[in-house]
Amino acid sequence: MDPRTALFSYPDPYDVKGTDRLFVRAMRDCCVYHYRHCPEYRKILDSAGFDPYGIKSPSDITRLPFLPTVFLKKHRIYSMPQYRMPIKATSSGTGGVYSRIGFDTQGLYCGLRMVLKVFGLRGIVSPQPCNYVILGYKPHKSNHTVIAKTAYGYTLLTPALSRTFALKYTDGTYKPDLEGTAAAVVRNSRSHFPTRFIGFPAYTWFMLRLMDERGMNVRLPAGSKIMLGGGWKQFYKEQVNKSDMYALAKKVLDIDEENIIESYGAAEHPILYCDCKNHHFHIPVYSRVIIRDVNTLEPLGYGKTGLVNLITPMVYGTPIQSIVTDDLGILHRSEECGCGISSPYLEIIGRAGFTDVKTCAAGAEEILKTAGGDAQ
Amino acid sequence: MILFGGKIYPTDRQSELLGILEKRINRTLAFGNLDRETVISALDDLAVRIALGRYDKLIAGFAPDDVTRYKNAAITAMKRENLETRLAVELPDNIMAGRTGSLIHSVRPLGTIMHIAAGNADGLPALSVLEGLVTGNVNILKLPSADNGITIKILTELIETAPEIADYIYVFDTPSADVDAMRKMADISDGIVVWGGETAVRAVRALAPAGAKLIEWGHRLGFAYISGYENENAELTALAKHIAETGQMLCSSCQTIYLDTYDTDTLDMFAEKFLPVLERAADAYLHTDIGASAQLSVNRYCERLESAAGFSRRKDRHTLYGKNCSITVCRGSTLELSGMYANVLVKRLPEKHILPVLRRTKGTLQTAGLICSPEKRDRLTEMLIRSGVNRVMRAGDMSASFTGEAHDGEYPLRRYIRNTDTEIL
Repeated sequence: MDPRTALFSYPDPYDVKGTDRLFVRAMRDCCVYHYRHCPEYRKILDSAGFDPYGIKSPSDITRLPFLPTVFLKKHRIYSMPQYRMPIKATSSGTGGVYSRIGFDTQGLYCGLRMVLKVFGLRGIVSPQPCNYVILGYKPHKSNHTVIAKTAYGYTLLTPALSRTFALKYTDGTYKPDLEGTAAAVVRNSRSHFPTRFIGFPAYTWFMLRLMDERGMNVRLPAGSKIMLGGGWKQFYKEQVNKSDMYALAKKVLDIDEENIIESYGAAEHPILYCDCKNHHFHIPVYSRVIIRDVNTLEPLGYGKTGLVNLITPMVYGTPIQSIVTDDLGILHRSEECGCGISSPYLEIIGRAGFTDVKTCAAGAEEILKTAGGDAQ
Repeated sequence: MILFGGKIYPTDRQSELLGILEKRINRTLAFGNLDRETVISALDDLAVRIALGRYDKLIAGFAPDDVTRYKNAAITAMKRENLETRLAVELPDNIMAGRTGSLIHSVRPLGTIMHIAAGNADGLPALSVLEGLVTGNVNILKLPSADNGITIKILTELIETAPEIADYIYVFDTPSADVDAMRKMADISDGIVVWGGETAVRAVRALAPAGAKLIEWGHRLGFAYISGYENENAELTALAKHIAETGQMLCSSCQTIYLDTYDTDTLDMFAEKFLPVLERAADAYLHTDIGASAQLSVNRYCERLESAAGFSRRKDRHTLYGKNCSITVCRGSTLELSGMYANVLVKRLPEKHILPVLRRTKGTLQTAGLICSPEKRDRLTEMLIRSGVNRVMRAGDMSASFTGEAHDGEYPLRRYIRNTDTEIL
């Protein structure tokens, strides 16, 4: 079995120490593949004097040049011809630009094994039928986002009795239908089968608030779950404490905290980080995380805030084996959690950018652009 | 947090408090009388206490690196002498009030002013309210999301000094997305002061009641213009200090440095000369915003990757990197925003082209920092002003505030009053 498939077939998804050697071998194969098949990537490694054939230890991976997601949003680079990539999916494009990642067949197979393994441990893969409420996009041929594809994919983890989507595609755009969604939740509460909510935290929160304001409190059958993922996106200012979300979910839907599951991931890093019972994102064997200093980009180690460098050998279609997102995070030792999972966990605490401080000068630039000024 | 009638309330009482706000304000408008002297005394008193260091710890808690700068800015804005100068310049009694025939002219407050402040300069929301108070208005302030708590602290201190001011200040930390709440505030208001870009202004126009006066303070860009020197070393050092100290975040901050030349080699020589100067300044005023630092590092790293991968991003510019700063030399001359935080642009702008080039961005011009030989100063100043620039400063003083100066070409206090006429028998 090749190292990548062996890694994604590893029995314990959180035995990071036990998979170090396998991970390094899988990374070397992946880097060598991209080096040989993606000319732009080869130039990047060459210019950094990095030899992918020389990857022999975790410290070599630390030195591997990473690609920021902003780079992938600006440039489409692939290591395979299009016909060999059955799925090409995009990031959400919150700022109007998105990356487009090509997935190879074996990579998708690895991803499937990962999802079944990680969600299996959380009791999410089940033969019991469920009603699904997706607080995200209804699939549409024009929607290529990873988040829409995975949300739909998650409804296949049990037999689906029904699927209600909060964001429907009408007149060429997605529009939220929270009232219709809330009505579907009330309908589902009369079913003998559990309901599962999948989607963005913001829309979940808006729906819970709407139901609460209208006194639409229901008791959903045991086994009902809320699966959150995709971040707060444009609603980051409305972000609420997790405890507020849990309290409202209990009040409105009678869903306990342990049945609220959050996941973290990115189109450019399709690894499933599923929170533990203490709501921490432990690093699975399929990836490694390095926190980098915001000024020097050097690795920081545990307990310090920096840019999040995510590493995985899963994908051969696009060279995304080491990427840096816009997230700012901290890596914690497993003992700080105490849930029993032995791998470190990642805490996301903010985002890179000037979003918190809107400068008047930046605003002026926006006006110039809107007015068609030829800013060069 | 909400400040309402001199008391602090938690955010979740917003709806209840907004429900009684109109009645409360109407009572104040009908029977209240905010004496200007009371406001000036209270502000001056606060300025004295700030100068004595009474609030040093508090200011350090909000802005640990900038205590002296914030102290000085607050004192300048609040002390009696400066307030009286402002009133004399902006609202001269002999012009604004008086009698013509059987008409008595007088200056009255606009009534109720809603302030929607930007979050880029700490203390700005409080300053906006202060201007409303000095002109006798009732003030409703919607805090910016980036407010760090200092606004309510300043206003609470002011109310403690002069409790009668309590009925003239209402502060809400409403998020901009809460349109219903914003509309309730706007409905009560005679004027709406909005600090921000076109998006903010458009949003405010949409919720403003018909007839409400919109007082817009829009976004602007600043630049430096260099055509020779009086004292090269001192002037470039002052310019670098200004760039690093303001983080290029203010309307008056220098985004682009223009050189009076046709020659691109001159730009390169200047960039090489200026980079170490900028580096020293950037080191002295290292900004602490981790999100911005991260973004800048990623941007720089990405540019290097693009160049390595053969994606030549822009052929019309190249960047010299220093520690915590950079200088990008550009071929074009249009005024534009820099990468901020000591990442400045350098462009050509021969004297003959000043007006046509700057007119392209006329709606956003504010401050020019002029560095030139003495014999050129008058001529270049005149040309910059004719081009639409409102402030021409020494390069190091681009963001300095001066008592009695106009803001974006206008006197703010004049926008917060109305002129009334009464016919007498």
